[in-house]
Amino acid sequence: MTAALEVEGLRKHFGGVTAVDGVSLALETGRIHGLIGPNGSGKTTLFNCITGLERRDAGHVRFNGERIDGLRPWQIAQKGIGRTFQVIRVFPELSALENLLVVTRGSLAAARERALELLAFVKLERLRDEYAGNLSYGQQKLVEFVRVLMRDPALVLLDEPAAGVNRTLLNDLLDAVRRLRDQGKTILLVEHDMKVIMGLCETVFVLDHGEKIAEGPPGRIQTDERVIEAYFGR
Amino acid sequence: MNVAITPEMVGQVVISGILSGALYAMVALGLALIFGVMRVINIAHGPFLMLGAYTTVILHQSLGLNPYLTLPASMLLLFALGVFLQRTLVFRVVDAPELSSLLLTFGVSIALVNLAQLGFTSDLRSVEYITGSWPLGPFALSKSRAIAFGVAAIVSGGAFLFLGRTRLGKAIRATSQNRDVALVCGINVPRIHLVTFGLAAALAAAGGTLLSVIVAIQPEMGQIWTFKSFLVIVLGGAGNYPGALLGGVLLGLVEQLASLFLTAQLSEAVAYVLLVLVLLVRPTGLLGGRQT
Amino acid sequence: MSARGGFLAALAAAAVLLALYPVVATGYGVRAALQLFMWVALAGSWNIISGLTGYVSFGHVAFFGAGSYAAGILVVKAGWPWPVASLAGGGAAALLALVIGYPCLRLKGPYFAIAMLGLNEVLRALVSYFEGLTGGGSGLSLPTLEASVPIYYAMALTAAAVTGLTYAVITSRFGLRLMTIREDEVAAEAMGIDTARHKLYAFLLSAVGPGIAGGLAARDQGYIEPVSVFPLAMTITMIVMVLFGGKGTVWGPVLGAVVLFVFQEVVWARFIYLHQLLFGAIIVAVVLLMPRGVLGLLQIRYRLPRTI
Repeated sequence: MTAALEVEGLRKHFGGVTAVDGVSLALETGRIHGLIGPNGSGKTTLFNCITGLERRDAGHVRFNGERIDGLRPWQIAQKGIGRTFQVIRVFPELSALENLLVVTRGSLAAARERALELLAFVKLERLRDEYAGNLSYGQQKLVEFVRVLMRDPALVLLDEPAAGVNRTLLNDLLDAVRRLRDQGKTILLVEHDMKVIMGLCETVFVLDHGEKIAEGPPGRIQTDERVIEAYFGR
Repeated sequence: MNVAITPEMVGQVVISGILSGALYAMVALGLALIFGVMRVINIAHGPFLMLGAYTTVILHQSLGLNPYLTLPASMLLLFALGVFLQRTLVFRVVDAPELSSLLLTFGVSIALVNLAQLGFTSDLRSVEYITGSWPLGPFALSKSRAIAFGVAAIVSGGAFLFLGRTRLGKAIRATSQNRDVALVCGINVPRIHLVTFGLAAALAAAGGTLLSVIVAIQPEMGQIWTFKSFLVIVLGGAGNYPGALLGGVLLGLVEQLASLFLTAQLSEAVAYVLLVLVLLVRPTGLLGGRQT
Repeated sequence: MSARGGFLAALAAAAVLLALYPVVATGYGVRAALQLFMWVALAGSWNIISGLTGYVSFGHVAFFGAGSYAAGILVVKAGWPWPVASLAGGGAAALLALVIGYPCLRLKGPYFAIAMLGLNEVLRALVSYFEGLTGGGSGLSLPTLEASVPIYYAMALTAAAVTGLTYAVITSRFGLRLMTIREDEVAAEAMGIDTARHKLYAFLLSAVGPGIAGGLAARDQGYIEPVSVFPLAMTITMIVMVLFGGKGTVWGPVLGAVVLFVFQEVVWARFIYLHQLLFGAIIVAVVLLMPRGVLGLLQIRYRLPRTI
């Protein structure tokens, strides 16, 4: 197996607080990876450093063997890394359809066709002309999810996809994620819901206080002493 | 450029630059405080300075008060105006998109300038109180500028003491570092915003008072001060309060040197080029960004 | 579709009437209409950068002034015909926008707004300094020419072009990308949109119209000087027009320009400071009470497209 994304010794601090402290990890092409850890353990900061929204203080990020640290966020996105946000960030005064169209390049007709397909896939075709800001929380979450797919990224980073989503919707989402994996895409997701992590991920990374304290298949992680300690204290 | 430039002349402009730099720094500190605490750039900051200057001119001309003794009056008056504006208008846009707060304070700034035009006309006004200069070796210290330097240094020092030593001042700094944490720590953030806005307006007013003794004033004098204060912040690094002091002196020096080597007319253009260059090369400011 | 057809018919009728207007109009009428077109062009241009991307330009009059001087100098010193010189004025304004926009638009936050606030003063100082070229403080007189009617048509074309450009931008994917910058610039970047470049393009587009209008106004006035072509009041007026009419829409700036221009001519012209004071108050009131402006409000309430 080859690594789609390699993070090496990544470090980021804000003032005196170290948010990510020398994390190294590798994501394998065509697999679903989980990233877990207590609140404030540096998961979102790691996401932000990978996607260029935060400048790392030290370390490297390689995507398909190519250094991407130091690139601007839009360059990283154009290389084929898509992401969602923990707090939904749709464009509220653009319609659902426009939210998808806006991130595409090339033929507009083709983009439109794909956008309508994706909206149909998440059962939002009826609401395509509604402002995204007027949609419900769950619907916005879906728009954000399919917006990532519009660019057909090779690596998808999902920040808490299950948070605030009802059961039915969640199952649809998880199915969609598996289907992406089956298409050969690499996925990394941050999630608090352990059921989601255990049911979906093939490899799990655990962060605590900005450090990676464990890595492995979910079954092993569940019984890892350091992980239990990080979550429940001693 | 047909006059030879002597070392004395350069020394003289360095002195003038430092003298006016303290004034810039004090006024910019006000703008930096509002930006740091509320993330609002107050376009009306320069017009606050203008109102401070008119307060002094009016009190001096109608009551014959010593212009320097009007400093507390002008600061208090603008503190009150600042608190009033924050309480009635600005608080509504603190969390709104930047566009809203910029436009709102721009509207306020236009209203203040034109109120001043209506009230005071656009005639130039000045306070003829202290003229001439003190000799200092081969150089001359303009009296009004030297006094302005001293007063600005004292007022800025006082502001730093307030921010560093008092409970309220520490709360302001905490809010500017992280508002959410400040909220959690039980700091009354809306009240901090009121005090900050008032304090910032008072610092601008102090600048106006000192300036009115140096140059003739008119209602439209303010706009360029908003720009210059911002430039000082950019030079020093946003959120870096001591940096603002250095930025002020730097701006004063650059302007004076420009007026020596080029012409006084172009000193503002040179300041502008400085802004563009700094943004191009070191967008976080010459001294780096926010200090912790 | 029939509403659209009716609208297009009304638009065509208005165009025909305006085209025929100089035949029957008095000199004053032509001048007033020419002024109105100028305001449409200015407000529409400000809308392209500030209404769409949310980056406020507090010094858009700088492009008007730059266009005035570029065209004025080309007419006086190089003997260019005024229509070509005015177009060159648009080019000069775009060049200026490139020089200012490249450093300032790469950054987020208020840097751009403040840089534009200072630009005006600086240009005024520069124009006064380079006396040989610009005539300095005493101004520049253009050769006498009775051309109000041709300038009327040229200004009308400029206003129409700016409005047409706005329509083209707003209905395009490029325009949508500009709006994402206003909505959430960080998310836009993370979605692969090169926001700095898009802002710069929008800024260049927004500078051309005022540059051309400045050139035409210079020809129309026959005389330019630093104070009259760089008035802060002009920036204020275009901002008020767009905010009132509805920023981010196609026809909002036009509506704002018509309404405020008429009021300005009829009511406020005699009370200059009072009218500026009112403009300040309108900005505050619109930001707080009606941030979308008239058409924006209608657009949201009746779910109309942005092309209103």
